[in-house]
Amino acid sequence: MTKRLSMLLLFGLLTVLLISCTAQPGGLVQQVVVTATPTVRPEGAKTVLRVGTGDSGEGLTPHLKIIEQFEAANPDIQVQLEPVGSGDYYARILTQIAAGDPPDLLQIGDDAVPMFVDKGAFVALDEYMASAQYPLDASIYLPGVQDPGQWNDKQYLLPKDFSPLAVYYNKKLFDAAGLPYPQDGWTWQEFLDTAQKLTKTDAGGKTVQWGVQLPAAWTTGFEYWVAAAGGSLISEDGKQFAGFMDSPAVQEAVQFYADLYNKHKVAPPPADMNAFGGGNSEFDNGAAAMRIFGRWPQAGMKDNPNIDLGVVGMPVGKQRANVLFWGGFGLSELSKDKEAAWRFLRFYSGAEGAEVWKDWALPTVSAVADSSGLSTDPIEGVWLNELNYLAPRAYVYTPFWGQTADPALRRVLESVILDPNADTAALLTTATQDAQTALDDLLAQQ
Amino acid sequence: MQLDSRPRRPNRLARREAITFYLCISPWILGFLIFTLGPVAASFGLSFTRWDLLSPPVFTGLRNYTHMRDDKLFWQSLSVTVRYTLMYVPTELVGGLLLALLMNQAGVRGIRAVRTIYYLPTVISGVAFVVVWMWIFNPQAGLINATLARVGIEGPRWLADPNTALTALWMMSLWGLGRTAIIYLAGLKAIPPELYEAAEMDGAGSWPSFVYVTLPMLTPTIFFNLVLSIIATFQTFTSAFVATNGGPLDSTLFFVLYLYRKAFQEFQMGYAAALAWVLFLVILVLTLLVVRSGQWWVYYEGEKR
Amino acid sequence: MARPTLRRRVPLRRWLLTGLVWGVAILFLIPFLWMISSSLKPNYQIFAVPPQWIPNPPRWENYGEALTTLPFGRYMINTAVIAIVTIIGHLLSCTIIAYAFARLRAPGRDFLFLVVLATMMLPYPVTMVPLYVLFKQLGWINTILPLTAPAYVGSAFYIFLLRQFFLTIPRDFEDAAVIDGANIVQILWLVILPLALPALATVAIFTFQASWNDFLAPLIYLQKPDMYTVTLGLQFFRSTFTTNWAYLMAASLVTALPVIVVFFVAQRFFIEGITLSGVKG
Repeated sequence: MTKRLSMLLLFGLLTVLLISCTAQPGGLVQQVVVTATPTVRPEGAKTVLRVGTGDSGEGLTPHLKIIEQFEAANPDIQVQLEPVGSGDYYARILTQIAAGDPPDLLQIGDDAVPMFVDKGAFVALDEYMASAQYPLDASIYLPGVQDPGQWNDKQYLLPKDFSPLAVYYNKKLFDAAGLPYPQDGWTWQEFLDTAQKLTKTDAGGKTVQWGVQLPAAWTTGFEYWVAAAGGSLISEDGKQFAGFMDSPAVQEAVQFYADLYNKHKVAPPPADMNAFGGGNSEFDNGAAAMRIFGRWPQAGMKDNPNIDLGVVGMPVGKQRANVLFWGGFGLSELSKDKEAAWRFLRFYSGAEGAEVWKDWALPTVSAVADSSGLSTDPIEGVWLNELNYLAPRAYVYTPFWGQTADPALRRVLESVILDPNADTAALLTTATQDAQTALDDLLAQQ
Repeated sequence: MQLDSRPRRPNRLARREAITFYLCISPWILGFLIFTLGPVAASFGLSFTRWDLLSPPVFTGLRNYTHMRDDKLFWQSLSVTVRYTLMYVPTELVGGLLLALLMNQAGVRGIRAVRTIYYLPTVISGVAFVVVWMWIFNPQAGLINATLARVGIEGPRWLADPNTALTALWMMSLWGLGRTAIIYLAGLKAIPPELYEAAEMDGAGSWPSFVYVTLPMLTPTIFFNLVLSIIATFQTFTSAFVATNGGPLDSTLFFVLYLYRKAFQEFQMGYAAALAWVLFLVILVLTLLVVRSGQWWVYYEGEKR
Repeated sequence: MARPTLRRRVPLRRWLLTGLVWGVAILFLIPFLWMISSSLKPNYQIFAVPPQWIPNPPRWENYGEALTTLPFGRYMINTAVIAIVTIIGHLLSCTIIAYAFARLRAPGRDFLFLVVLATMMLPYPVTMVPLYVLFKQLGWINTILPLTAPAYVGSAFYIFLLRQFFLTIPRDFEDAAVIDGANIVQILWLVILPLALPALATVAIFTFQASWNDFLAPLIYLQKPDMYTVTLGLQFFRSTFTTNWAYLMAASLVTALPVIVVFFVAQRFFIEGITLSGVKG
């Protein structure tokens, strides 16, 4: 209170100063609006939980619905959603954490988990999950879906939504070419053949229809190709890239991917190299027969009259593999009312929340997936089935993945896509060295 | 009769003037002490630490600064920023003036609408505007390449090509000249018409009167725009953040974008602070050079003392 | 009127000029026209090849839907309040400070002016966290104070702008006033202010537009969704994975309208306004 009073006094002083400079009594009126943020909750009042999320727009509707249901069942708690979309979410929550003022519950993406958890931003949930009054049984989840929220064998975050990769295809273009639809368990070679048969050029040599739209230099998506080629990008102890990132398996994966763009020319060049998806729109326009991506744009595709949508699992390389993309909620270490926060968290991520989520994304709880018929749905079932083939993402091996290997790998992918004559082996060697130097440097500082 | 009482007057008057000066700028001093000094000193201190924002900062001495020497991306981002500034600042100064001259044509029909149109891109929120340009530059479906295709030319890949991405961003920024033009316009309006009338009576045509009346009287405005352009262009962020995220192949990795990434995506706030101070020094030195040079080419009608 | 008018010249010149002025205007309009076109399309049509200018059929519902997904009316009011409070702050503080830098002499003046300029040279991301901590200590988070209070203690950009402007005013008027025995306060109010109206109006317009488009500060300091500003509302249409283009365009256009209208109307005051001439004396 004294701080606020002294600020008011300072403003009064300012006003006096300004008035004295202009000697116009009554000519200056300043209205300073001060709205106080309560820092102390009086006894008996509602507990206010703050929840931070990176979702935006329509994606907020399920959040709000769940909050409504929870508040009705728990009248002593009020939940305040603090959403920030797109790339600035992390800037905001990091600033809040640094100032000691984060929301009670925080949503983060999978590759941020090691760093946040390692530095103590989240509370381990195992005890809460085992508690008698508000338990949560982890077996309700679909396979692999709670793994990204674990670190050092403890559960820190619970899943919110997830997506593996799959191949979208446009039945219209397959029908027009008289080709059978892709079958689950198809191989890289079959995939390439299909793409080639569906790539058409006109008399002038310009491509008017593409076989497959690829997600450009998306590094995390690329991990599927590495896993399917039987390789891995880093050693299991998380300290070494040499022998892994420059291994023959990785080289094969990069070469196959690059050839799709430059040798076989079945994939349109990226329109915009900025992060997600390369900015291409061929599939949406009905000018590409297939598309490799996550589940996020599916709703829009279903509404698109250019597309008669089908989905099939990822092709098999040396082995069948897939990677999971994931977002989850965790309980802030700095939360002032952890018990109330936990009550909401288990509602959010548990079966009750999953009932709401199923209309917006794939539910994380297997019972909900089965009961809503999603497991047998010709499209949704494919996504769920891919969960059986997950390979671990590279970031789980080191919290410094994003700062070291990710930019290096990205540069490799951008180079091979842009330059048909790129020397894959040399690029990978350089990338491995760069990543290793950066990693050694960071490890030395710890 | 001495009309100007300022030079060579007794100390008492000089002291009173000084006191009045400090009284008048006291709000700024107050604000500086409260809002600026603290955070700035903190950021300077942070530049000597390693800080991931999640746990307390750890003192590391000069390590951040020495690391820059070996940091390839530091030099890359500096190069990108300097090149872009060299491209953009002259075009802003000249282009803004041309635009202002066009805005100043009171006789043209609908000039008010025209001025609003020139200012329009500035008004449209940064993100939405950049997003529109991302479409315009789209190599397959975008406006530029589609129009070029009509006449049979295959356009470059703009934002998706490391050789043209920076140029594309530069083209995009030209649409934001309306703001600079308005400042020039205020400066143009401040030129007393008598000067032009006098020039005309001496037989000067429109070009000589531009060179000998308009330009000299505009030098305070040009000075303002030059200093501000240097300060602002070195800190370019939004367009790169939204349109290219520094790519492809780091060809649009602006310095502040690199800084932001280090701070909020790679958990290296201490290093980011050190980067910020390096940038500060660069901008400061350049600005000082310009300010110093001002005494030779800037003319103040009000006799700056 | 700062240039010799062309009315006495050949009318052809005028037509050429009109053509040039409007030609450039059309060039400037193109992105804007595309925004309007995109705002009326269903999302999948926006990136169609070849590009379609006329949406077929035009989806007027986009506007209604985009603006009701989030309470944009409320956001606009929030932003307007912040903008107006900030404008008042700038006009009050920057005028006096700029005048002092322009006209008064004191030891350390030029050095202090460089400090003023220097405050614009440190990139925002690094002072963001310490500033947040400061405002948190003051209890100002979730209020409009972090966005508006600094305006009352001067802002480097506008101080610089006004100082340049004041330096172009001939001293004759002030000298005359000094002879008549006026103190600094009266000089400011009676002599300088009327002459500086165009510059002050420029400050007001720029502040309005800057407040309206400010993103980073509201992002950090306004956490409660019902305090959000227009820019925070707009970035909702972009998520990590997809962008709802049509809604983004529609909402951007509508939320830009207030600034456009204010600019169009206010031109009278700062462009065609009182010209700086010593003739009336």
